[in-house]
Order: sequence, then structure tokens, then C-alpha cells
Amino acid sequence: MSVFTLEAGLALLGLVLLMIEAFKPDISRRTLGLTAIAGTAIALVLLPFCGASLPAFMQPWHQIDTLALFYKGFSLVITLLVLWLTLECSPYLTKFTLDGKLAEMFSLPLIVCSGMMWMASARDLVTVFVPLELVTVSFYVLVAFARKSSFSLEAGVKYLILGALSTGVLVYGIAWIYGATGSMSFEGIAKALGNPATSKPAALFGAAMILAGLGFKVAAAPFHMWVPDVYQGAPTPVTAFLSVGSKAAGFVVLTRALDAFLAEGSLIGTEIQAMLLVTGSLTVLLGSLPAMFLTSVKRLLAYSSISHAGYLLLALACRDSARVDLASGGVVAFYLATYLPMTVIGFLGLGLMRANGLGEDIKDFTGLARRNPLLALVMTLSFASLAGLPLTAGFLGKLFVFLGLADHGYWGALTCAIVAAAAGFYYYFKTVLAIYTTEGTDTPALPLGVATKAVAGLLAVTIVVLGVYPKPLQKVLMPASAAVVAK
Amino acid sequence: MISLSHYLVVSGMLFALGLAGVIARRNILIVYMCLEMMLSAANLALVGFSRFHLVNGLPDYTAQSLVFFTITVAAAEVAVGLAIIVALFRSKQSVDVESVTKLQG
Repeated sequence: MSVFTLEAGLALLGLVLLMIEAFKPDISRRTLGLTAIAGTAIALVLLPFCGASLPAFMQPWHQIDTLALFYKGFSLVITLLVLWLTLECSPYLTKFTLDGKLAEMFSLPLIVCSGMMWMASARDLVTVFVPLELVTVSFYVLVAFARKSSFSLEAGVKYLILGALSTGVLVYGIAWIYGATGSMSFEGIAKALGNPATSKPAALFGAAMILAGLGFKVAAAPFHMWVPDVYQGAPTPVTAFLSVGSKAAGFVVLTRALDAFLAEGSLIGTEIQAMLLVTGSLTVLLGSLPAMFLTSVKRLLAYSSISHAGYLLLALACRDSARVDLASGGVVAFYLATYLPMTVIGFLGLGLMRANGLGEDIKDFTGLARRNPLLALVMTLSFASLAGLPLTAGFLGKLFVFLGLADHGYWGALTCAIVAAAAGFYYYFKTVLAIYTTEGTDTPALPLGVATKAVAGLLAVTIVVLGVYPKPLQKVLMPASAAVVAK
Repeated sequence: MISLSHYLVVSGMLFALGLAGVIARRNILIVYMCLEMMLSAANLALVGFSRFHLVNGLPDYTAQSLVFFTITVAAAEVAVGLAIIVALFRSKQSVDVESVTKLQG
């Protein structure tokens, strides 16, 4: 059995759940949710045992390498967590849906996951475009899902307009890259860009448009304006999905596209490289500095998501960093692996607060340590890791990026990244301080279920383990990097 | 004789008009129409490039296959998009961009 059968199976399960919900309206949302969770879990268990063989007709446009397998596993894990978080928040979420139902909230993430997995294997621009749109269009629905909430609807409209705009820009870029290089496949593009006869302005224009289109999806400056509004308005599980899943999907495509654009002897290499550095530096600053003045934790996590996208872009700009044994694609994958547990814990905390009738502002977190010490501890760990405190996973991700920048002598970008990280310490620890403030609030306990405790604990342990002992993950990502370096 | 550059100029104009409309218009439905126009501009460029990129004397059809996908995706996007815009109109009785300014830091 090859890996792509898992993707097909997940999409099929999503469609089946949708049909069941449509024709058997009395089915409980718990059954639907648990079926979706079971399906994703089975796919995750089967993933390591699947063969990487492909029929001949698929080979020109589909590949199953280490990076693809890593991102497929990543998509499955985040989908599993999001489905579970949805189930956890469902009593609260159903207040805002039309008839108190959540069916699509369980079937659409499966379809999104299938799209993200497919995208990880893309080998040409057509197989990038179709799954990318599958993911984006499904997200339009998910973001606007809580229709009775005007915030969710507003977020949906904003995401729709800007998402569709980025699609237009992306396709236009693809058209010009195709026009300049005469090829849709990444290999063909890389080869044509090495040929001096290729038209440089056309190729540069196309590549810049493609990067702009993908920049929208991963929230890179100056195309990050939609992020705070959409993240704040969308239902919390969907925000977690957008922030981790959608970003990872965007970055796997960026990794592949940049491997082509920045291949050895590429005509447009220097310009694209400079563009990445400038965008990355701008993104870290525009993500971190405004976040210092915020009061809403959900919005703060949105800005944090922007600044993390900036670090990831800077990682992509450093082609091969000699000191960490990982090529840029490997560093990005490592960073995303550290980013997953810390972000999910953040949104888990927010979701639980909301489910217990509390708000999402920093002041609502006041005294959380007395309400529930475990949740407070886990959230503190997640925020420390987001800030990049040593011995947490987030520290290593940032360290790799900084080392890469220093190795290549990109001092300007390094300064921006350090300033942003320092600002990050301020606003993350402002929230942590609120959690441990005890004065003057009545503090009813905030009970947690066994499953919630287990998941939160597991994520917290992941943060610490990755932060202290990252070698196994680095080893997993090494073959992907070796292949790139050898080329 | 119509050459590749004619197609590219028309497609560039369509794209620029669409982008200008997205930025300048206040009505979300019109903004959405402009977005569709940008996709059509991209499709025109793709077909143009494909027709004039000859492999062994025949046009190269890879780009045209993408056009079919783009049209399908655009149709799906319109279906979902109009549903969201209708839901917005039902709740606010307006489709002006000013009606979606509640989310702020």
C-alpha cells in the first residue's frame, strides 16, 4: 500500500461523514467526531508502514521523500489535535451555529488534511495549486462556521477576499514562470533558470508573484494584515488549525519552490534571496512590535504566528547552514515541529477558557494559577517556548535560525530577528505574569477532563523533550537535507 | 497577426483592472467580481503562453491543463464565497466593506 492511499482514504472518510450527517440528521456529534478522530489516528499509525512506491504515471508530478513524509505526519498530528479540540469546545461552539450542529467541523478538517498531505508531495506547480486551493476553500467555510457570531462571519469575509486575492496573484505568477521557463515542474524550472537564454525579467516577475501569493498563505509581511482579524474572529480550533496546519502547508510549498528558484547558478537567485531576507526581517518586526500593546491573548497569538512566519522565512533564506547539519528545508521542518506543540497548547488554553465562560483578554487570565495549577503550568511552558527560553523547544528553533543568519553574515536580518525575539519575551511574559497574579479576584476552579489533562501533558512533555534532546528529530530530517546538499 | 504580446497586454490590463477594483471598490460583491477577473487574466496568460510555446511544432498543453483546474477552483470558490456573502448580508443587511470593521485590537 502506498502513502497516497491514506490521503484518498481520508478525503473519502470526510465525504462519507458529510453524507451521513446530511441524511441521518439525528446522529450525535460525538459519534461523528470520534469517527473522524479514529480515522485520522489510523492513518497516522499506518503512515510509517506505507511503501513509497508510485505508479509510473504519477512519478512526474508526485514524490514521496523524507520531507514529504515528515509533513504528511505533521498534517495528521495537527488534524488529530484540532478534531479533538473541536469536540472539546463543541458545547460552546454549537451556540453559534445555525441548528446547533457541527458536522462540517468534523468532515472538512479531514479533507483539509488530505489536501495538506497531497501538497507535501507536489512536484510541479499544478499539483501545488490544486491541493492548496482545496485547503484554502475548506478554510473559508471553517473560518465562517460560527455563523451566528458576527465576528466569525466578519473573519470569514476577510479571509475570503484576501485568500481569493492571493489565489489570483499565485496563478498569475505561475503563468509568468511557465512563460519564462516553459515548464511547470520544479526540476524543469530549476533547469531553465540555470540557462542564460531564459528571460530574466519575466522569470523574476513570475517568481515574485508566486512568492507573494504564498506569502499571503503563510502570513508574511506585507501580506499579513488579514491575520490578526481572521485569527481573532475564527472559532478557536479553526484558528489553531490555520496557525499551524495552513502555515506548515504553505512552508512545504515554499521550500520546494525556493529549491527551484535558488538552485545552483539560478538567474534570479540573488534577487529572490534579497527579497526573502527583507520580507523575513519585516515580518518578524511587524509581528512582534505591535504585539507589545495588545490586550487580547488570541490576537497576541495571531501576531506571534506572524513573527514565527518571519523566522521561518529567514531560515529559508539561509541556504545550507553548516553548523546544524540541516539544510534550510530541514531547519524549517524542525522549527515547525517545535511550533506545533507550543501553539496548540496556547489555543487549547484559550478554548478551555471560552468553554468555561471566560474571555480571551490578558486580564481574564489573571489568577489562572489558582483556578487550575496544571493548566497554568502548561500554558507558562508554552509561552516560554514561544518566546524562546532555553531548554524549551522554541529556543532551539530560533537558535538554528540565528546561527544560520550569522554563518551567512546577514547581520541586518539577524539584528531584526534579535530585536523581535526580545520584544517577544516582553509580551509573552506579560501574559505569564497575569496567570500568576493572585490579587483581588474571586477564583472559581476550572476543572479539566482526564483526556484534556493527558493531551496537554503530552504536548508539554514534547516541548521539553524537543528542547533538551532534539537529536532524534534532527536525524529524521537529515536525509532530506543531505539530498538537497548533495544536489 | 496576433502575437503573444497582444495576449499578455490584454491579460495584464485585466489583472490590473481587477486589482484596482479590489482595492478601490466598497461593495463586497463587486470586489468579488474583480477577484474573479484577476483569475481570468491569469487564465488568459496561461493559455497564451501555452499556445505560443511550441514543442515539436505543437503547443505545450501542460499550462492549459492548469487552466481547467483554475476554472474548477474558481467555481468552487464562488459557491463558497457567495454563501458567506449572503450570510453576511442576512446578519448585517449590508455588503459594504464598512460593515466588516468590528474586529480590532
